[in-house]
Amino acid sequence: MARETVRPTVTEYIRRLKNKLMFIEAKNLVFSYKEDAPPVIDGMELKIEKGTFTAIIGHNGSGKSTLAKLLCGLLIPTGGSVTVDGMPTNDEKMQYDIRKKCGMVFQNPDNQIVASVVEEDVAFAPENLGVPPAEIRHRVNSVLKAVGMEEYAKHSTYKLSGGQKQRVAIAGILAMEPECIFFDEATAMLDPAGQRDIIASMKMLNREKAMTVVAITHHMNEAVEADRVIVLNHGKIYADGTPLQVFSDVENILRAKLSVPQVTELFYMLENNGCRCGTDVLHTMEAAERIEKLFK
Amino acid sequence: MIKDITIGQFFPGDTLLHRTDPRFKIIILITFLTSVLAAKSTVAFMAVLCSTLILLVLSEINLRILLKSVKPLLFILIFTAVINLFFVKGESMLLHWHFIKIYKEGIVNAVMMVLRLVCLVVGTSVLLSYTTSPLDMTDGLERVLSPLKYIKVPVHEFSMMMTIALRFIPTLVEETDKIISAQKARGVSFDTGGLLKRVRALIPILIPLFYSAIRRAYELAEAMECRLYRGGEGRTRMKVPHVKGSDYIFLFVMLAVCVGIFLLNSYEVPFI
Repeated sequence: MARETVRPTVTEYIRRLKNKLMFIEAKNLVFSYKEDAPPVIDGMELKIEKGTFTAIIGHNGSGKSTLAKLLCGLLIPTGGSVTVDGMPTNDEKMQYDIRKKCGMVFQNPDNQIVASVVEEDVAFAPENLGVPPAEIRHRVNSVLKAVGMEEYAKHSTYKLSGGQKQRVAIAGILAMEPECIFFDEATAMLDPAGQRDIIASMKMLNREKAMTVVAITHHMNEAVEADRVIVLNHGKIYADGTPLQVFSDVENILRAKLSVPQVTELFYMLENNGCRCGTDVLHTMEAAERIEKLFK
Repeated sequence: MIKDITIGQFFPGDTLLHRTDPRFKIIILITFLTSVLAAKSTVAFMAVLCSTLILLVLSEINLRILLKSVKPLLFILIFTAVINLFFVKGESMLLHWHFIKIYKEGIVNAVMMVLRLVCLVVGTSVLLSYTTSPLDMTDGLERVLSPLKYIKVPVHEFSMMMTIALRFIPTLVEETDKIISAQKARGVSFDTGGLLKRVRALIPILIPLFYSAIRRAYELAEAMECRLYRGGEGRTRMKVPHVKGSDYIFLFVMLAVCVGIFLLNSYEVPFI
């Protein structure tokens, strides 16, 4: 009996706490690029809390890049609303403050580097902010160190590898000191080594610097690193949960024209062939242990 | 072939030329170019050659790189030399064969014109483009030209455009090479046929190049907006220019050279 009366207050308490931690909130979000075109984002409710690591996945044309641009205020919704830390993105006066809070790393490393020298590119955002020179120097040095590019400070940006360019781009955003960083398919044009570097940077930002990270991706091995995975399909949220919850329902993911991590697929095939092993596996080491247990 | 163009390339280093304040370098360059164009007598001309060589040594730029930057000018150099050789008339004729008459003055003129052009190119490359990072350079230009703001010249926008143009030169050059290879693989031939056919063969290069440049521009604009760019107002710079003693000395020396060359011009009977 006592439990029954306590429960609502606890949920109420959690709800209030979550509201306090709320960072980005989309309400009934609708967006289309042209007035008479079908909407790319079609009525979406979404909340992203502070300090979380969210991955947004979906097949090509599912609207994931559009959603990212809407959430950080680069695009203005045609219907519904997006608020970033309480500021509505459709309020033009707020736009600059929203951009200060949300940085974005884009897909093509070449098209987001402004300067020819690494440290000058990293200094671009704080220079625009009007930060005093000594403070800019300090920020540039510390963010280059954070992404492991301090030896390259005076190098020419043109000669770096793709992964290094993306790390410079991340440093360029970090120098702005945002609260949230979006990765819009930032690993799509990189080789496997570059991808690993960027995924490691994402985790570092989230775990060590307590930043809110939103990664748009179609690499499943990137998505499994997140706390939460959102699957988009036809401009709507198709699935939403922890990587384990989302990916272990293999059939559901395949229906959205997506793939699951390789080991999950392996276990799915094993399960289909009569092996009782479950599909709730995401990492290779985990899989190895599970298989070892099966044989014993 | 396209990769040989090095105009607008910066070679990082730590020499006197690298350290000099870009604003001073721009003024020094203007002084230097004035002296190159003003030198008329042999003595003055020798002085110009010497100062070019000194600049070259100071910059510690690899000679091979420098030669590459002169290579695209080869046609202009040869053209100038030939015109001067055959069309300058003087007093002492050296060769007369049918209608070709070569005079001593023609040879002197041809050599001087070629060297003058080479000095202009080498001086500009060594003083500015090779030893000044593009951001420094445009920053210097912005500061040198900043008085023009008061007559509504968009100085900051201009320098931003320069920065971006310089940043994208290697990227677009690489892209052009890729497109050329791709079109070659599809059987487009760039070096056969008449002039018209060759010019036409460039269309399949230019259209994809323009298309991708425009797309790049669009994405870059988005990335810049994302990094809080909103024009020159309220902007600070990481690198604050410190005017050093060496800057003043360098400028003073160059001014002295310039004045010296004007004086040397009147010491000797000019050739021209």
